[in-house]
Amino acid sequence: MTRSIIDPITRIEGHLRVEMEVTNGKVSEAWVSGGCFRGMELVVQDRTPEDAAQIVQRICGVCPVSHAHSSAIAGEHAYGIKISNNARIIRNLLEGAQFLHSHILWFYNLAALDYVNPINALKADPADAYDLALAAGTSTNSDFVALKERLAKFADNGQMSIFSGAWFEADKGQAYKLDPELDLICTAHYLEALQMQAKASEVAGLLGGKMPHVMTLVPGGTMWVPTEEKLDDLWALVNEIYNWVESTMIPDTLAIAPAYADALNWGKGVGRYIAWGVFENENMEMNDRYLPAGVLDEKLNLSDVEESMITEYMGHSWYKGDETYTSPYFVTEPEFTEYYKEGTDTVSDRYTWVKCPAYDGKPAEAGGLSRVLVAYKRNVPFIVEQVNAFTAALGIQLGQAQSTLGRTAVRQIETLYIAGLMKEWVQELMEAVKGGDSEYFRKPETITGSGTGFWEAPRGALYHHEDVENGKIKGYQIIIPSTWNLAPHDAQGNNGPMEEALIGVPVEDIEMPINALRTVHSFDPCTACAVHVTEPATGKSFKTVTSPWGVK
Amino acid sequence: METEATVSEFQEMLSERGVTRRDFMKLCGAVAVAAGLTELAAPQVAQALESSVIGATKGNLYPVIWIEGASCTGCTESFAQADAPDPATVVLEMISLNYCETLSAAAGWSMEEAKEQTIEAGNYILVYEGGVLKNWGGQALRVANETGTDILVHAAEKANAVVALGSCAVNGGWMAAHPNPSNALGVQQYLKEAGVETPVINVPGCPANPEWLVAILVDVVLMQRLPALNGENKPSVIYDQTIHDNCQRRGHFENGEFVYEFGSPEEAMGYCLYPLGCRGPQTKSNCGIVRWNHRRSWCVESGAPCIGCCEANPMNPGQNWVEVNTPFYKRHRDLRVGDFVFQPGTVALIVTAVVAGALIVHGFGMKVSGRMDGGADFEKKRAWDAKHPDKSIGKYDDDDAKGGQE
Repeated sequence: MTRSIIDPITRIEGHLRVEMEVTNGKVSEAWVSGGCFRGMELVVQDRTPEDAAQIVQRICGVCPVSHAHSSAIAGEHAYGIKISNNARIIRNLLEGAQFLHSHILWFYNLAALDYVNPINALKADPADAYDLALAAGTSTNSDFVALKERLAKFADNGQMSIFSGAWFEADKGQAYKLDPELDLICTAHYLEALQMQAKASEVAGLLGGKMPHVMTLVPGGTMWVPTEEKLDDLWALVNEIYNWVESTMIPDTLAIAPAYADALNWGKGVGRYIAWGVFENENMEMNDRYLPAGVLDEKLNLSDVEESMITEYMGHSWYKGDETYTSPYFVTEPEFTEYYKEGTDTVSDRYTWVKCPAYDGKPAEAGGLSRVLVAYKRNVPFIVEQVNAFTAALGIQLGQAQSTLGRTAVRQIETLYIAGLMKEWVQELMEAVKGGDSEYFRKPETITGSGTGFWEAPRGALYHHEDVENGKIKGYQIIIPSTWNLAPHDAQGNNGPMEEALIGVPVEDIEMPINALRTVHSFDPCTACAVHVTEPATGKSFKTVTSPWGVK
Repeated sequence: METEATVSEFQEMLSERGVTRRDFMKLCGAVAVAAGLTELAAPQVAQALESSVIGATKGNLYPVIWIEGASCTGCTESFAQADAPDPATVVLEMISLNYCETLSAAAGWSMEEAKEQTIEAGNYILVYEGGVLKNWGGQALRVANETGTDILVHAAEKANAVVALGSCAVNGGWMAAHPNPSNALGVQQYLKEAGVETPVINVPGCPANPEWLVAILVDVVLMQRLPALNGENKPSVIYDQTIHDNCQRRGHFENGEFVYEFGSPEEAMGYCLYPLGCRGPQTKSNCGIVRWNHRRSWCVESGAPCIGCCEANPMNPGQNWVEVNTPFYKRHRDLRVGDFVFQPGTVALIVTAVVAGALIVHGFGMKVSGRMDGGADFEKKRAWDAKHPDKSIGKYDDDDAKGGQE
């Protein structure tokens, strides 16, 4: 038995540590620890729901729109507002822009470096790379000769920049399996993806003022009004992104996958999945969202989401007490104790800032895989068709999608789906504007109430709940996708989803456990999101603010 | 690296799809140029890496360590949206970004090793994103089994300069807002307490605009100097004027043309967002000039009032942008006394008073900014109101009404 630790986990958002016991070359035990506490829910206390929709975006710089959206939905339920049709479409577009941004960035710029070795691309023959790209049916927008020259100049200088300390030589040089030509193609697409994720963010910037942290999404609708000069930009940007996604992402996935087929055999999590649903349809029903809500059990049987089935347990995290609370709730208090038991290298009973949520008393996985599986079970035509084609292309059954490679691959299906929806929504918006609909924002019916915003971030099921009295927040609770995925052991000692996924992963080199890293990245974890807290507003000292004015 | 097996797989793949290898001699001329460089480069890289994970310790690229403290990764994300130069050019041709939690290929110990070797080699810039958390002896933030505070001090001590990137790094940002549960503060203040004297460049904003960081990198890397800083160690070129000074809707402010409700016809005409709480008059930054996301738009252009996210006093976490500016869509901040929060005797919803107030606020902002030494001779009655008494929006007492513009 040996111990293998990855800390920090890189190419994620936030701070994450993974510690593993390795027995006979495979992970036998795992502890996933979130490294940062900031205290979001306390900060929005006594502020307005409109303020909250802005402040909660700062949970995560990658998925701020989802937090604003979920918070706004909670606020609208508390306020008794049903948003206008235009606001629904514009918010779908804003959310979709963020999903595209996030998925493109994650696949190429974060996860792909576990599979693609840009240094190996130096050995490629650009002409062969061009042939290979044609054969694989992927895009050839970049000049492979110029790229190789650029990489050579970089290598010639000798400073490694973002490749410093890379694991390209892991597993005795066998970990990275791509042909140099495919490495060159994927490096070209890594650089194109940097541009395309920015292009997707540009759509969010157009609709939201800036990204990250958009400005226009507010309880009641949107502040953004589509004039013609904005609509033509929107139309053009959305088409450009679709064309790139369609010509590049799934072909690349299918080209890379055969070299890493082994990763279909491990990395399954707890085998239970939750999706709260995202992208509103006209009827605003959760089960009828473009990516619908649903819960899947171990046998992938589908059921509807029930709020009262959601609980959180504190006993293995750095919070006082070891109760299990049913949502919504507003009590818990942070208290760091220790990571290792004093004087030993044994992980303590409490070992993370992440709490332990459960659905129907059991841990569950959230994310792109969950959404796609639920959409498949709810017979969303595009998803059914694409998943069937995809599994056929890889020669696998749907069940094998529950693996490190499967989880990594199916998100490209979702990306293509959303890229196509964006085009539809732009058309829908143009039709609405043409038809004379000019309603974008509705005022509150009441300023006292409570509401839940069930929604999805790119990383999975997102839950915001707020109690509002006279326009001020009196209790706020957030459960974030990575809290589900990075959950520590539960009260019965069962692993959280990522911990469970790590069990059985082959580790050849405990210094560079590349397969564990691939498995962690397949979840697209975001610990910036995962750690936060609620507590009763008692026993705190306050300072009196010197100037009440907005102006100093 | 052994690639024979995979090469044959690809050849198989090619033939399966009915594609033969095309005559790549067509590309030969260009390939030869690249090949010449490659033969030179590959062994050099291999050699450099034998002794060090960061490769050469000196070269054409300026070494940079980018540490995420208590961050949302939003400032790294924002950097990924840089327009010109784009982020790939920055990390391949301007700086050697040896440690960056979001972009580095490395992970775990070799990542930490890259940081150590960079510190050891010296002559680097530290970019610090996110707040500094003091609670539980710094354990509110843990990386590689160390506290965030120790990591900051260690990396800052030998740096040529520290860029505190984003409002959280400048003074704790939203984390420092009441009740500041993790005891957050900014880099400059923490380093001062820790006795570290490395110069700090404060770049507030939530997130920081990527063009600001790139401008600073151009100063440091290409012009070998630090940017000119104001009294709060913020680059003067970015932070010495208000949003209002350069706002594209400023003309409508002067005309008294305002948006009173989100998503209204007035918004479609691009009127001024002042009555909806816009903090442009008191927030200092050049957002409206630099713009966001490849210069596509910015907050006010999209119809959203400025919420003052660049507000950050480096030496006072209590004066953070959330505490100073909430509620964002009212003209005045809430007053907090103990547990009790209220909106001060409110003129906020009375339109005429708001607009009259606008002038006072505006003038006050200009005085504070120091660009009008000895106090400005600004109009007591707006020129537009004087010319259009029947449509006058401001409320004036008799003397002012008689005097008009003095």
